Amino acid sequence: MKTFDYLFEPVNAGLFWPGVAAALIVALLCAPLSLYVVLKKMAFIGQGVSHAAFGGVGLALYVAALAGTGGWSGWHQLAVLVFAAAAGLGISVLSKRQGTDTAIGIVLAVCMAVGFELYRLAAGVAARTPGVAGPPGIEDVLFGSVLNVTTGGAVATGVAAMLVLGSLWFVRRPLTSWAFDEATAGSLGIRGERMRALLLLMLSVAVVATMQIAGVVLATAMLIIPGVIGLSWGRTIRGAVVWSVVSAVLGVVVGLLVTFELGVQPGPSVVLVMVGLMLIGSGIRRATGARSA
Amino acid sequence: MDASTHQTSNTQTENAGPAISVDGVSFSYAGSSMTGEPVLERVTLDVRRGERLGILGPNGGGKSTLLKILLGVLKPTEGRVRIFGVSPDEARRGRMIGYLPQRVTAELRFPLRVMDTVLQPLAVRQPAWKRIGGTALARASACLEMVGARRLAEKQIGSLSGGQMQRVLIARAIAAGPRVLLLDEPTVGIDVEGQRRFGEMLDTVRTEEGITVVVVSHELATIAATSDRVACLRRTLHFHDTPRGLTPDVLREVFRHDLAVLEGHTHDCAHEHGHADGGCGCGPDSGLGVDGGPA
Repeated sequence: MKTFDYLFEPVNAGLFWPGVAAALIVALLCAPLSLYVVLKKMAFIGQGVSHAAFGGVGLALYVAALAGTGGWSGWHQLAVLVFAAAAGLGISVLSKRQGTDTAIGIVLAVCMAVGFELYRLAAGVAARTPGVAGPPGIEDVLFGSVLNVTTGGAVATGVAAMLVLGSLWFVRRPLTSWAFDEATAGSLGIRGERMRALLLLMLSVAVVATMQIAGVVLATAMLIIPGVIGLSWGRTIRGAVVWSVVSAVLGVVVGLLVTFELGVQPGPSVVLVMVGLMLIGSGIRRATGARSA
Repeated sequence: MDASTHQTSNTQTENAGPAISVDGVSFSYAGSSMTGEPVLERVTLDVRRGERLGILGPNGGGKSTLLKILLGVLKPTEGRVRIFGVSPDEARRGRMIGYLPQRVTAELRFPLRVMDTVLQPLAVRQPAWKRIGGTALARASACLEMVGARRLAEKQIGSLSGGQMQRVLIARAIAAGPRVLLLDEPTVGIDVEGQRRFGEMLDTVRTEEGITVVVVSHELATIAATSDRVACLRRTLHFHDTPRGLTPDVLREVFRHDLAVLEGHTHDCAHEHGHADGGCGCGPDSGLGVDGGPA
């Protein structure tokens, strides 16, 4: 089995493990968050944020190339996070004037266009300047890569996940009350705007962490499909969290197996496995009318 | 004001001032001020402590706008609102207001049992690290009992019928012990008998909680079933007294008994409530007992 060779052969020592660890952390991070993303119909906003983050990727790569370092580091990741969070807030503000659809359409397109031009410029600078590392391949940026995740990247992903999951646990009660009924949240002393901004910020962090594995294009799938599965099967919030985590982890494990065995990008294989799980679950529910936990 | 004050005599309660005072309130939406047509104009009314006030008027008459002003969502362009002596914003922040919107705005795909839903207003007051205690559970059970929905406690929130959902959402709205309950068109789509039962349930809640209730509706039967006093609103306040004083003349004045307005009115109903035929039992032609106040 190629998977075994990649992970356990001494010649590959440590090459793939950071990516695998980051993928599992991302599954644990995205699953509980995805319930709220689905319930608050923020899937398309997530899509906007992840595509907008490509603008941040381009900017970080270009600045690194000009600075003479090139390549990719944890600082780039942080810059992309700031860019993604700003894009998310930009979408929120623009939504009030233009409507959410239009706001996402504008921000997504502008950031993708700017990101691609900056990526091209960064590649040009790296090609002309000796000693400056070139940017990662465009396919890796768009569809993810296990190889590009460094140990530092995996640790940063772990820290980000702990911060987001800790915040989620801390605000779970007001967040759930607000998400259940936004119109009456104010009368319970909950500030709806703060809840939305906080969810958007957590969503941005999760998107940027997920982009390493699933790429810009498919990152939001990790923030949608586990939520759909969890909400179909869970009878309580706790049950829904368990189902979403199980499906996300299973999706990542099987998806990475496919990636290693077939030598393809991890993003599409993880997403397709999770969609498969969703369809199987839906088939079982239809056949049995089951709903548990 | 502590709980014991709730139980003072009527005279003392009167002396303590009204639950809600609306003083000379006018309101124009940004667009409508250009056309010089305010939605509300110099509306002044008081809601006594512990009473049920029904606000009756045609669609577009400013009822929902007034409710949003009471909630602090909209700010009056003129005038002042006080809820137990404080501004609506302060009242909301102090969790003094329970609110039930016109349509069910709750996300019903949520995997929540009825009990979890009613517990929410109590749970948000708990620090994150503290478990929900027995006191909160007992209070949520008592609220469900009050609205006649105790047996639904373990059901999934998404599996309830419209009437059951409304009762559960009222239990949720009163769980944290607000002092005012605002209900926006609570009986849309419910038959006359259902409205009577709803009125009885509301009276139980009012009596047991000592809560002040404001019901907004364009349906006369709803107002008759749920209110001790009525305020008729069509931009300005046309009437403010017990339902017995609601004569056909008053209703004609409020609903403007002419064909053009009624056509516009039924059109609004179709638009707002999805009544394909435009009829939703509103207006003086509804035959809902113009002279009939609550027994």
